[in-house]
Amino acid sequence: MPEIHVTDREGNKHTLDAPNGEPLMETLRDQDMDVEGICGGQCACGTCHVYVGEEWAAKLPAREEDEDDMLEAIEDMVEVKKTSRLSCQIEMSDSLAGLTVEVAPEF
Amino acid sequence: MSQTQQAQPEIKLGSAHLERCPFPIPMGWYFVDYSKNLAKEEIRNIDILDQEWVLFRTEAGKVGMTDPYCPHLGAHLGHGGKVCGELLRCPFHHWKYDTAGWNKDIPYGKVAPPVVKKKPILRTLPCEEHWGMIWCWYHPAALPPEWQLPSIPELEDTENFIEPATGHWDTHTAVQEIGENAVDFAHLKFLHGEKEIPPAEYSFNWPHYKIDMNNGYIVGESHGPGLNVYKFTHEGVVATMVNYTVPITKELSKINMSFTHPKFEAGTKEAMVAEHLVKHMVGEADGEESAGFESVDFIVWNNKKYRPNPLLCDGDGPILQYRKWFKKFYAGAEDEAKV
Repeated sequence: MPEIHVTDREGNKHTLDAPNGEPLMETLRDQDMDVEGICGGQCACGTCHVYVGEEWAAKLPAREEDEDDMLEAIEDMVEVKKTSRLSCQIEMSDSLAGLTVEVAPEF
Repeated sequence: MSQTQQAQPEIKLGSAHLERCPFPIPMGWYFVDYSKNLAKEEIRNIDILDQEWVLFRTEAGKVGMTDPYCPHLGAHLGHGGKVCGELLRCPFHHWKYDTAGWNKDIPYGKVAPPVVKKKPILRTLPCEEHWGMIWCWYHPAALPPEWQLPSIPELEDTENFIEPATGHWDTHTAVQEIGENAVDFAHLKFLHGEKEIPPAEYSFNWPHYKIDMNNGYIVGESHGPGLNVYKFTHEGVVATMVNYTVPITKELSKINMSFTHPKFEAGTKEAMVAEHLVKHMVGEADGEESAGFESVDFIVWNNKKYRPNPLLCDGDGPILQYRKWFKKFYAGAEDEAKV
């Protein structure tokens, strides 16, 4: 099971085990990183927004249209960066071992 | 054939594998109700087209017809829902929808799910009102109308035509089977008892077909499975029968009809001919030798099975041509082997 490095909203750093095949959102939600993931992965709520480490941004599969639309919908309320992702759209696998993410601010 | 090689019945003509109505609901414009039966801001649950729908009329008078269950958390919009201006409000969390199924309000989220700005999220049926009736467009794949409802002058010119008489009958079969009667000329002699099989001319031009029976006595045009207009002409008087049948379920249809003719002065010959024609259409004419559809067709429809490969003979009408024409209304939703 890959390990990931998470910075929470208070700036605290955590190393978490992220089960393979599960969306990153569920790891963050279930391990109390204050990520809600309300809509369950439909790109409908924007509550699992994270910034991934710059070195990881290019390695992840590109955003699809639904994810882009949701990020666009929240950009008046929260900073959306090039490294912004909805963590529900990132499926964990060994190739993502060492992934660094920062939980984005609430809106 | 020698006695040792006795003919066996064709196994495929057995009936055990047959179904009564192996058809999906066909695309078309369908009668929903008379306009006067739906008041402004009224909401009603109705069962037609093989499912339940919520029928409502907005404050401005627009008719909406929607799938009952809210895309949010599945509440039934027709049990506790409310018409708010031009929108239908779900009772559960007050999400609001317009008559085309677009979500127009979520009263608490900071940001609406992006999908709600891109497309309607509730399945609704396009509705129109003509001739004092509410009509909806149904398509098996929820696609937009493929044709428009026609003009029917006899139902529009209220100055020169009588207020139509109406009739309604439930029959336990599918609309394809009911419509097949119109091209089954031979049954008119044997089931209905007409003197002869009437001569007929016909042309199929999807979504329409035209038919002319007995050299202009009955001239009909179909506008898809849900609307047929027939004109009966006798001694120069033309009476009109409008048939608007609706599938209630796959095996139950409601036949609706309106009958009208030009206004004639009471007691004139024309008035009597027109009255007789209308009676003939419903099969109630005095001294008539042929039987009306209610007394004979229903017995067949309510009990028959559908043969996708019928054994036809010369003298039968263009049954297979009709079926090929009709199949297009299923838009690929049909089981090829059964239909």
